[in-house]
Amino acid sequence: MKTIHPAGENMDTIKSMSQPLSYISRLECSGCGKEYSYNELHTFCPICQSPLLPIYDLKKVRQAVDREEISHRNKGMWRWSQLLPVLSVENQVFLGEGDTPLLALPQLGKELGLTRLFVKDESSNPTGSFKARGLSAAISKAKELGVKKVIIPTAGNAGGAMAAYAARAGLKAHIFMPKDTPYANIEESRMAGAEVILVNGLISDAAGMAGEKARAEGWFDVSTFKEPYRVEGKKVMGYELAESFGWKLPDVIIYPTGGGTGLVGMWKAFAELEELGWLENTKRPRMVSVQADGCAPVVRAFENNALFCDFWLNAHTLASGLRVPKSFADHLILQDIYDSRGTAVAVSDEAILEAQKQLASREGIFAAPEGAATLAALRKLIDTKWVQPDESIVLFNTGSGLKYLDPRNDSTISAEKK
Amino acid sequence: MQNNVLYIEDNPDNMMLVKRALEARGYRLLQAANGLKGVEVAESQEVDLILLDINLPDIDGYEVAHRLRTSPKTSLLHTPIIAITANALKGDAEKALAAGCDVYMSKPINIRELWARVEAFVPMP
Repeated sequence: MKTIHPAGENMDTIKSMSQPLSYISRLECSGCGKEYSYNELHTFCPICQSPLLPIYDLKKVRQAVDREEISHRNKGMWRWSQLLPVLSVENQVFLGEGDTPLLALPQLGKELGLTRLFVKDESSNPTGSFKARGLSAAISKAKELGVKKVIIPTAGNAGGAMAAYAARAGLKAHIFMPKDTPYANIEESRMAGAEVILVNGLISDAAGMAGEKARAEGWFDVSTFKEPYRVEGKKVMGYELAESFGWKLPDVIIYPTGGGTGLVGMWKAFAELEELGWLENTKRPRMVSVQADGCAPVVRAFENNALFCDFWLNAHTLASGLRVPKSFADHLILQDIYDSRGTAVAVSDEAILEAQKQLASREGIFAAPEGAATLAALRKLIDTKWVQPDESIVLFNTGSGLKYLDPRNDSTISAEKK
Repeated sequence: MQNNVLYIEDNPDNMMLVKRALEARGYRLLQAANGLKGVEVAESQEVDLILLDINLPDIDGYEVAHRLRTSPKTSLLHTPIIAITANALKGDAEKALAAGCDVYMSKPINIRELWARVEAFVPMP
């Protein structure tokens, strides 16, 4: 029986059109602008220590690629390969990531008095979360550049995703997780063959340990924004949104923010689409960053009109993906919120649990607590009239609530139990 | 104000990175490669701001901060201290602030953030 790699079929199409698989042209420092080669392994800018971002020859893409043709390719993230960094189809590590559904929320919309409310449901990605997109891109490019062993600090889902893609790519994987990381994340990582170290602390503590091990033993660190390619996988969420809305963009995107790769990635995607001339109008969405009351560095910085976040002390929330005391890309997150005329909202754990129950009982979506937080934030935005009834609003459910069920103890995050 | 910034750091790469970054903005960088030397420099020279690594080879940064805040040179009670750590141990930030530091930054040091943090205390010359 022949196994078909969807990206491989797309490659046949691309080859028949004499197009390169990727139009990546360079890496560029988001801080000082210094340029680096995409043919060499890089982490972050050694000059100013800011994240590196891939840049593409969009003029050539515009000449060679038809947006409608992309829409007819086989489903999956890699149908956007010309706007992704991997040069060879053999290096695309594919598990079915991407093309998650954009679902209308008619019951909740009616209750909330909103006519165009949607959720981009990322729970259908491999390993059950949006992390699959970023790790697919990062592991694929690492494989292409000859990396043999990868390491990551994680609050949960990124570890499971990295373990799965590393296994698929034949790379060794090492993961540092807080010891109270959801059980599913620990087990899926171990099942995929990763070595898992449970850390008595937060993701920031795990990051320190992973960084030390990477430096001492030569592991390649795929921490958020400490390598240039996870953001590229995440940006495809922005392409898919534009395509789903008929090459227009929604008015508001409400996004849970830990490390911020998705928010920064989508904003990058919108800029690229605009430069490609693929958008029917150039009105960008207002980006809303959602965090938890117990760990809200972006919200506090936004309220202070700051360019960087202060490290959040004693971070705590049941939404493990939001327990990020300070993102390495905090300045990019904040800049994108400011540029979009967006805002930042913190919500309580109680409101997250209530929203989780509402999404499940009204719309049949058992969201991750991080995803449910976006509905809790929306309620606040309605109360303050920051959103209008006829605006198109997209919530992001970043993962499946099933991954937070914990057989180890009674603290399982579940709408029913709470 | 002399625009003197003291960096207490044993890693020469980090020292060079920060030296280039701050001197490019007109600051004068005083250097100390361990905690005891850092306390000595702070007590003997005019210092407007201190960048303090926590993981030092002799006394750690928490002890350095404590000695600076209780120094006979009373002006050091109010000299801004920015703690910089590799984030390797639980509670670094909390401990740094409790020891008397004003701000906490984690490595890798984003230079744009460093400029912003330093300028918040000592305006660019």
